Amino acid sequence: MESSFDRSGRTRILLLGLLVIGAIFIIRLFWIQVIQHDRYEALALQNQETKFTIPAKRGLIYARDGKTVTPLVMNEPVYTVYADPTEVEEPEKIEALIRRVAGGNIRRSFETDLTNQKLRYTVLARQVNKTQAELIKREKLAGVGLQEGTRRVYPEGQLASQLLGFVNGEGEGQYGLEGMLDDRLKGTPGLLKAITDVRQVPLSINDDLVRVPAKNGDNLVLNIDRNVQTYAEKALKDGLERAKAKHGSVIVMEPTTGKVLAMANYPTYDPAKFSDVDDISVFQNSVVSAPYEAGSVIKTLTMGVGLDKGVVTPETTYQNNGSVQVGDFKISNATNDSIGTTNMVDVLHYSLNTGMVYVLKQLGNGSINLTAKQTLFDYFTTKYRFGQKTGIEQAGEQSGQVIGPKDAEGGEVRYANMTFGQGMDVTMVQAASAFSAAINGGTYYKPQLIGGTRSANGAIEEVAPHTIEDGIISPQASSTLRSMIVEARQSSAISKNDRKGYQIGGKTGTSQIIDPKTGKYTDENSIGTYLGFGGDNTPRYVIMVRVQDSKLPGYAGTAAAAPIFGDISNWMLDYLQVQPAR
Amino acid sequence: MSQSTLFVSNRQQQRMWRRNQNTVSFQAGKSLGPVAHTVLVALMLAVLGLIYLTQITKTSTYGYEINELETKQEELLTKKQDLEVENAKLQALERVQQSDVAKALDTPSTVEYTN
Repeated sequence: MESSFDRSGRTRILLLGLLVIGAIFIIRLFWIQVIQHDRYEALALQNQETKFTIPAKRGLIYARDGKTVTPLVMNEPVYTVYADPTEVEEPEKIEALIRRVAGGNIRRSFETDLTNQKLRYTVLARQVNKTQAELIKREKLAGVGLQEGTRRVYPEGQLASQLLGFVNGEGEGQYGLEGMLDDRLKGTPGLLKAITDVRQVPLSINDDLVRVPAKNGDNLVLNIDRNVQTYAEKALKDGLERAKAKHGSVIVMEPTTGKVLAMANYPTYDPAKFSDVDDISVFQNSVVSAPYEAGSVIKTLTMGVGLDKGVVTPETTYQNNGSVQVGDFKISNATNDSIGTTNMVDVLHYSLNTGMVYVLKQLGNGSINLTAKQTLFDYFTTKYRFGQKTGIEQAGEQSGQVIGPKDAEGGEVRYANMTFGQGMDVTMVQAASAFSAAINGGTYYKPQLIGGTRSANGAIEEVAPHTIEDGIISPQASSTLRSMIVEARQSSAISKNDRKGYQIGGKTGTSQIIDPKTGKYTDENSIGTYLGFGGDNTPRYVIMVRVQDSKLPGYAGTAAAAPIFGDISNWMLDYLQVQPAR
Repeated sequence: MSQSTLFVSNRQQQRMWRRNQNTVSFQAGKSLGPVAHTVLVALMLAVLGLIYLTQITKTSTYGYEINELETKQEELLTKKQDLEVENAKLQALERVQQSDVAKALDTPSTVEYTN
């Protein structure tokens, strides 16, 4: 028989055992729940919490439309159709559906990957629109999903494509505005960190919920006027066809503010189909990225230097012999016009190289010495700002090149050539901005494409014109130069179609370029340029036209570029409702 | 035998006992024992737990509602965006130029300003 002591002893042992086990549990729980609290909480949150990136919307781009604005670049939702082959149950049905609905957006050989059980993700079609996506979604096919994204859409088609640029498949801005202002346009993505359920739906039950809203990209309002841009592109295309030329560009600016109203290039491309382009040089905006020897259009600027320094006036005369000896070289005029005593207005009218060399000599008190060269260099680089980027909101802007007077290559022949636009490279935007300053009273404005930003409620915050420097030439010199340029144009046959009662002036330029095949200057390869302005007593617009490889007889500046200027100029007078002098 | 406890503060006692007044206080015949106390406490805890759970569930429901509303807002914004794109395409200059109205317009031979 078992004694009560034995029973009591076993009970005690059992009790002790239970207490020990209980103590172990309590200590373990204390360890886990108190000591290791932070660790396990973090682990739990790691499983429960999901981080979502809130995508920022890429900013829209607007153009002016008279006094209102109109969108040039917008966004629209697009979808990537993908499949998880391990989840796919009806590959034939999926293939048939994708072929029927996605059409040209199908990824090549997608049907092969659809049955590849080693893959967990394969793209079936890209860039399908909302309607197509809805049709695919409606079928509720196992293993097929849709991923939403956005793409740029261009309501005005190819308009201003080179200055706009495009957004590539990775969402990065390329060329033009998109490339230059990519960071500003794309904005900053937001963040949502929350506990989610099994369907990844965020639940608002934890204190750690983090919601940082996305900052959408800026909506930019350009100074580009879509009507001016459209007409400039049309006039350029028509002009190039007349001249049977390969390439051309136009810039239209407001000389009293620096606003760029139009910037056109031909040939052009459709930014919505940028991937179809074979020759990527078509993406370049040649107005800012193609420095060249602008030729005789620079004569107006050299004349501005002479007038500002007071070494010449419109009435100043010199003896034009058709050529002038500079060092070992003989610099000749393009034509035999105005041989004999010639004034400075005729120098511009007949585009006399010898007249420009005369102005340069006057800057050096009668010879092309260091003073003359340094003066011209200072005006060209610090006043007209050649050799440096203008800062226009365009990717790929080039600075051009002006050789210094003390450089080994900066001899008197080069400087004689520079007076009429040879021996130095400038871009169209540099030349048009400098010309604007020379004729507007002497204020150099930064050429501006962006005129403001548009908020979500439609309010526009305007950007004021940016004055770089006042008095690059005196107002009096500027006024005199303006009159000389008008007189020079009116004396010429190219003004015959000009509207009467307006102040329209300009200068042609034709420069030979090196044939890439032979490496030599040839008559077959030339660039014709026209740089001029128009308006009433105040210049209202500056237009620069560049035509490459014109096949018309005569000088390309006169035969090919000047008619394009005349066409746009007459249209601008109507569009801006400039009233003629009575 | 059950034991009852009546807690009366000193101040209450002083108010209750007046001079020459019979100091008779009522004591309930039955009172709650430890088991009943435990059960009551457990019940209270359970009720509190239920209230807490209800609140949590309600908050989660708000999460679903918020998510639903956000999805709806997103859909409406997408729709608005689509309409804006469509509107812009319809107002594109090239399309306007090709319209019957535009084709019927004539270019004036001269322009005269009245002032």
